[in-house]
Amino acid sequence: MEEIVRAEGLKKTFTLSKKQQRIERTGETRRVAVNGLSFSAYRGEIYGLLGPNGAGKTTTLRMLSTLIKPDEGDAFLCGHSIVKEPEKVRDVIGFLTSELKLEGFFTPDYLFDFFGAMHGVEKQVLAERKKQLFTRFGIDKFAEVQVKNLSTGMLQKVSLVISIVHDPAVVIFDEPTNGLDVLTAKVVTDFLSELKAMGKSILLSTHIFSLVEKLCDRVGVIIDGKLAAEGTLEEVGKGDLETAFFDLYHAIKGEIV
Amino acid sequence: MKFMALIKKEFHRFFHDPRLIVTMLLPGIIIFLIYTVMGNVIGGSEVETYTFKVYLSGQSAVTQVIETAAESAGHTLEWLPLEDEEEARAAVKSGEATAILAFSENFDGFDGAERGEVKLIYDAMEQASSFFYALSASILEQYGMRFAIVSESLSTDDAIGVEVMTQILPFLLVCFIFSACMSVTLESVAGEKERGTLATILVTSAKRSHIALGKLVPLSCISMLGALSSFLGVALSMPKLMGVSLGFLGGYSVWSYILLLVLILSTVPLVVGAIASVSALSRSVKEATAYTSVLMIFTMVISLVAAFIPAIGDWVVFIPVLNAVVVMQGVLAGGLPVWQSLVGVGLNLAYTALLVFAMTKMLSSEKIIFGK
Ligand SMILES: Nc1ncnc2c1ncn2[C@@H]1O[C@H](COP(=O)(O)OP(=O)(O)OP(=O)(O)O)[C@@H](O)[C@H]1O
Ligand SMILES: [Mg+2]
Repeated sequence: MEEIVRAEGLKKTFTLSKKQQRIERTGETRRVAVNGLSFSAYRGEIYGLLGPNGAGKTTTLRMLSTLIKPDEGDAFLCGHSIVKEPEKVRDVIGFLTSELKLEGFFTPDYLFDFFGAMHGVEKQVLAERKKQLFTRFGIDKFAEVQVKNLSTGMLQKVSLVISIVHDPAVVIFDEPTNGLDVLTAKVVTDFLSELKAMGKSILLSTHIFSLVEKLCDRVGVIIDGKLAAEGTLEEVGKGDLETAFFDLYHAIKGEIV
Repeated sequence: MKFMALIKKEFHRFFHDPRLIVTMLLPGIIIFLIYTVMGNVIGGSEVETYTFKVYLSGQSAVTQVIETAAESAGHTLEWLPLEDEEEARAAVKSGEATAILAFSENFDGFDGAERGEVKLIYDAMEQASSFFYALSASILEQYGMRFAIVSESLSTDDAIGVEVMTQILPFLLVCFIFSACMSVTLESVAGEKERGTLATILVTSAKRSHIALGKLVPLSCISMLGALSSFLGVALSMPKLMGVSLGFLGGYSVWSYILLLVLILSTVPLVVGAIASVSALSRSVKEATAYTSVLMIFTMVISLVAAFIPAIGDWVVFIPVLNAVVVMQGVLAGGLPVWQSLVGVGLNLAYTALLVFAMTKMLSSEKIIFGK
């Protein structure tokens, strides 16, 4: 199997602001969010990073998508280093989180073209891709509607389609179903299955066991910024992912949840 | 291609949103309307034909020429005998009468031994009075220099208006530039950061410097439009408001204008850059607005102060915005402050480049973009 994402000893420490210390009621001034994380995801599979709140999932995915830099370690996406070639990495990945928003004023049609241009996609290729993706996901009828007037489900579809405007090999998705109702969540999970069917590699993070069980081929359990277990769903979950997770958690933190 | 897409997006955002266009052009329109209404109220009637009531003392055939000229233009002219000059002056000042025309003894019979004199007293603030002044002065002048014309205005003269304008115009222009830059830049930079749409662009492979410039260039162009609209608002309403038309600007050389224009143009990106940097640093539009308002008040106060310090030192060219104010005054006062303008333009460009560099750094800084 071909490795498409490889993280090697990623580490990230944040300095906590006074405000953050107050909110979290802590005297610490530094927080190690990701602590020597290594894992590999293979081409064509859906890899799930599973972890509780504050485990460092978002931080890890932000490092992989080159939005923030690791203090130590490196990661390679399609062979490009996130430290040395961040711009190349950005062209081979599609990154999606609920924090990345589309300007409500523009139409899906305009935004698709704009982000296509931002990734340097040829005009002709772009037009063809737009037609294909818009038809496939039923966006064509809404192509000229301002994004702010779209329903949540349609907006989610548009965001998903735009994140793959440049036909990236890897799609990185932070908490894909967080805060979505069941219908919209289904739009997203169906989309991910479609992407897999198109031969894309997907890396997602979540704290929802059922999502991992439903979608992922392989899973990495992340606790306190470290990888606690990694393998196929079968290897890690042994039939019951939830129990397996709590056992891991207990073994590492020494506390019963 | 990425850079062009960024620039186009910014223009598209602005020019396809009537709301934004209106907010940008509104100040100019409002200024024009208010000043025009004010001007009409202050300036009184707007009729094209006047009824002149002119106090006359002494005798001359010229009066007949003036009368014919006035009447052939559709005006009515009524001569009143000048009995008490004080009373007549008060009447002119209050608008009851138009002017006082006083010829010296034996005006027409002048033979070269002694120069004759004609006194013309009017009120520059009154349209009818100014009109009569212009009319009779031009007729009198056709008689050549055989006599002295002594004219006197009872209130603010054009010259005084012009002087006030040279003081206040640069300051007004700075205000317009600042508020125009503020309205677009805050929304576009702080707004995009707050709404999370800036982060979406940062995930693409566009260069950070291109993203920074992709904001600065179009926002500067749009701000210039806004500033221009406000400026036109003033320029067009000035004749009504002050009785001064910006025609006096026509008296300067082309070079003065080019200098002035370049200087103003170079001030806009600097102000946009400053507001954009503040916006990038702020967490929300609200925060950015608060900081920018402080910046704006500060700029206005110093440019107002500079406008009224008559002989400010040359060091002032090193201070952005202030240098523009001072050079503008210089140009309006009829000077051609070449090296000051060039230094000013050069420095503005240098400061702008620094700000673009700073913005690029900010966009690459995870603390600023993703800080908690
Ligand atoms: N920019 C930042 N500044 C300071 N601390 C941060 C920053 N980003 C994350 N952290 C801290 O690092 C830790 C890991 O955060 P992260 O967001 O990566 O966790 P997560 O696994 O995504 O959690 P969640 O399920 O809540 O999204 C948390 O304790 C968080 O408070
Ligand atoms: Mg998270």
